[in-house]
Amino acid sequence: MADLTASRTGLIPMSGDYFASRRAFLFLLAAPAVVYVIVFGLMPLAQGAWYSLFDYNLQRPNRTAWVGLGNYVRVFSDPAARAAIVNTFVFTIVGVTLQLIAGFAIALLLWRDDRFNRFCLAFILIPVTVTPLVVGLVFKAMLGADYGIVGYFLSQGGIGPRSGLLSDASTALWVLVAIDTWQWTPLMALILLAGLKSLPMDVLEAATADGATARQRFAMIVLPLMLPSVFLALVLRVMDAFRVFDIVYVTTGGGPGDATQTLMVLAAKEGLSFFNIGYASAIGNVTILFIALLASVLLLAVRGADRRINGR
Amino acid sequence: MSARAENLLGRRLALLAILLIFLLPVAWLLTTAWKQSSQIFSIPPTLYFTPSLDQFRSAFAFFDIWSLVKSSLIISVGSAVLSLLLGVPAGYALARSRSRLAVGTAYFFLAIRMIPAVAALIPFYLLMRDIGLLGTWWAVILINTMLNCAFVTWMMFSYFRALPPDMEEAALTDGCTQFGAFWRVAVPSARSGMIASALFCIMFAWNDFLFAMFLTRTDAKPISVALLTAYGTQDITWGTLGALAHFSTIPIVLMALVLNRYFVQGATNGVQ
Repeated sequence: MADLTASRTGLIPMSGDYFASRRAFLFLLAAPAVVYVIVFGLMPLAQGAWYSLFDYNLQRPNRTAWVGLGNYVRVFSDPAARAAIVNTFVFTIVGVTLQLIAGFAIALLLWRDDRFNRFCLAFILIPVTVTPLVVGLVFKAMLGADYGIVGYFLSQGGIGPRSGLLSDASTALWVLVAIDTWQWTPLMALILLAGLKSLPMDVLEAATADGATARQRFAMIVLPLMLPSVFLALVLRVMDAFRVFDIVYVTTGGGPGDATQTLMVLAAKEGLSFFNIGYASAIGNVTILFIALLASVLLLAVRGADRRINGR
Repeated sequence: MSARAENLLGRRLALLAILLIFLLPVAWLLTTAWKQSSQIFSIPPTLYFTPSLDQFRSAFAFFDIWSLVKSSLIISVGSAVLSLLLGVPAGYALARSRSRLAVGTAYFFLAIRMIPAVAALIPFYLLMRDIGLLGTWWAVILINTMLNCAFVTWMMFSYFRALPPDMEEAALTDGCTQFGAFWRVAVPSARSGMIASALFCIMFAWNDFLFAMFLTRTDAKPISVALLTAYGTQDITWGTLGALAHFSTIPIVLMALVLNRYFVQGATNGVQ
């Protein structure tokens, strides 16, 4: 439709020349970013995808044997990689679920817009801004069984494994889930709070006037109307949690054994420590595929929820 | 007290308790830097201690802190400037374009941001090796810019889309050039979006250690990498680490608190 370019005021001379130069100008503005991302992002990734078909190790550059999908078969058959897949899914699903519940509760507490709540929100967001590296170090220091503030009391009280929660295969992954929850619940709360603040207040007031209890309002109005926000927050956090690297690398490095091995930690170990470029690229691509899959399922849910609300 | 006031008090107490949970771990690490080593892990934990600068002295003795901070600044500000230079015009163009391709391209930028850092790093490392930038600040700036300009483009796309084009059109009618309408009319009115974008770019790059660890030489290392190497070193105590962590966390935390309005805008706008 040509007249989409027409101005609202209808004052701009609308000759064909104008459209052409406008299009050219906008194209020129967008081109550098597109080219940049292709050169430094997409092309290296495509190259990585190509390398993943070879047994390519940087330490023996002359022996790059074509292995086809061999590296991908290895991702699903190698015990370490299988542990990484399972751990990454467990970490993501359990962690994000906890963050959703805690984040929703905090968002409801912060819903009323007053000075106290704005003050709390500003400070609650601090964990989000702290580098995951420092977050990992803090929790490692606190949980150490011999000297950590928390770890000492736990081991004295006979709670948890003697070597400390992070050094025991049965608890380490759960500690990482807890750390991730500590760091990212505030962000979840913030996104949900934005959703709450955009709810139609007149509907809620009408329900109150009709004698609906707080619980009824929550279950029948707030929750259904919040579904799109909830799914959007889930998309964001699931994609982030699935590519977890920093806190695992700093606290456990994937151990003990493969107890906290995640896909990105394994890829970093294979690619950046052992220089198994082919295999590491395959792990990276499998991760990207998983993320794309999870994101599409959740985005479909967003659309479904939107449609139900707007009756379209 | 009425039930309503009681309810409010209860909510506020609950919020204060939640606030403590989110602040104590960081506060604890930072206070370790002001204690003497013997006090840090003393049982029971000491609440009262005489502040001491010993840990800061040893941190400065072990590390050239100012050069580490300088590296962090160069990397984060450098990539933020580049990301804005690339992302703001692109976001504007995609928001104003009527082509069907535009929205698709915007989603392409959103998808780029979701690429796992490690997956992007491995082939990028080889690229930097091949063009001879491995070991320099440039390598880190370039990869941070790749992910961050995608973020800025998406963010500015949603900002400009919410901004009515009337002002720009009025300027165009008054004989303003296309570039003038963009630069002198659209850009100034999107100032808050740009501050939010810059804030997040600086934060992402400052907090990163993976890219910096593998792409820089010793003399170009930022503070995050120093923290990681300090952690693995025998002679360095938790107190020294806490002192070093001041320089890594406080600038960003302060920035987010001072510019809280933009931080909140950015965090909610970056997703929707």
